[in-house]
Amino acid sequence: MNIAHLDDLEAVELPDEFVWRPVRRHFDIQAFGTNAYTPGHGGRIIEEHTEQTYQHQEIYLVLRGRVRFTVDGDEHELGPGQLVFVRDPSLRRGAVALTDDAAVLAVGGKPGAAHEVSAWEYAFFAIPHMEEGRYDEARRLLREGLEAKPGSPSILYNLACTEALAGETDAAIDLLTEAVAADERFRGYAQDDEDFASIRDDPRFPS
Amino acid sequence: MSDGYTILSLDDVEHVPHRGSNLVPVRHTLGFEPAGVNAWIADAGGQLIPPHEEDSGNEELYAVVRGRATFTVGDEKADAPAGTLVFVPPEVFRTATAEEDATIVFAVGGTVGAAFNAGGWDSFAVADAYRQSGRLDEGRAIMEQLIAAKPDYWAVHYNAGCYEALGGESGAAFAHLRRAQELDTDGDAAPYFREDSDLDSLRDDPRFQEFVG
Repeated sequence: MNIAHLDDLEAVELPDEFVWRPVRRHFDIQAFGTNAYTPGHGGRIIEEHTEQTYQHQEIYLVLRGRVRFTVDGDEHELGPGQLVFVRDPSLRRGAVALTDDAAVLAVGGKPGAAHEVSAWEYAFFAIPHMEEGRYDEARRLLREGLEAKPGSPSILYNLACTEALAGETDAAIDLLTEAVAADERFRGYAQDDEDFASIRDDPRFPS
Repeated sequence: MSDGYTILSLDDVEHVPHRGSNLVPVRHTLGFEPAGVNAWIADAGGQLIPPHEEDSGNEELYAVVRGRATFTVGDEKADAPAGTLVFVPPEVFRTATAEEDATIVFAVGGTVGAAFNAGGWDSFAVADAYRQSGRLDEGRAIMEQLIAAKPDYWAVHYNAGCYEALGGESGAAFAHLRRAQELDTDGDAAPYFREDSDLDSLRDDPRFQEFVG
């Protein structure tokens, strides 16, 4: 039987201090997007974000503990069996855990479209490896993502970060140039990104 | 609160009986579009998930939100306390029973490679519960909303036909079923016309021959 307790799933702690439990990836679910989250050291459990990029509708269901959601500036404190359905992808939403045992299950997708694995899943997996200097593992995960999502600007961008951190200047410049060509927004992100400190003075850096 | 989001407590949603279980009709209540989402609630010893298999391509994930359940998937049984996730691939038998009172299982479903298309079985269950408690017009209004939302989808007309057949309105039932058959160009409805007990009140009617001939 394909069965797992959410505490037994891989725990990927992200720099924003929330812990991603990759449910979809664990079970290799292809039909819909779903993930669980538990709090990081700072108590955050759902990243503050909108769904503008993916145009997803999202449900966040509290499985355990107490969680304070902020949706479109309003605060709601929810417990097990209570959920937030964010219909409008442009609304900013996020959550912090009020108890250490809190867990949230998220389900989302774009209405009227078949589910596709989102590029961020590959980036989320690679980021902790990048941060801790395991560049080969970060590269491997991002390359796997690029095979699944050829030309994905966010994966190219994270690969560029990895190469910059690893001191591979030429590779970093090429990948960042490719990411910016695919999506102009990444030019802006790159300007303030500390991962590019080692290459920002290179004349080829997209400014 | 803006129209852009909704807060919902599963305990506040009116449960409806469905195939020996108690359905918490989440998708119907919220109007969630990307996937099928529902919950099931039962006391100790009660059936949570109706025994069934999903069609080819339909994946389902179950999450135990509260209490404790025993899952049966294929011929395996497993203990599932709160926080347990169970994934069931298409065409595999599954059911679950509650081991503690007020156990809740949340279910998510979708079809690989296809946009989720709500056939409305869950809305139908809500409408049918209304019909059985004498709230005929409220039930019919749900079926009409489903048709208005997806006028070209055979299954919503089929389900409206079932609703009327169960209520003994054979004229209205046949009108909906004819529309379902016109729209069902791939013959997906044929097994339902042959086997669905919701249509039993129509089977001896000579008009039924056009659907099973």
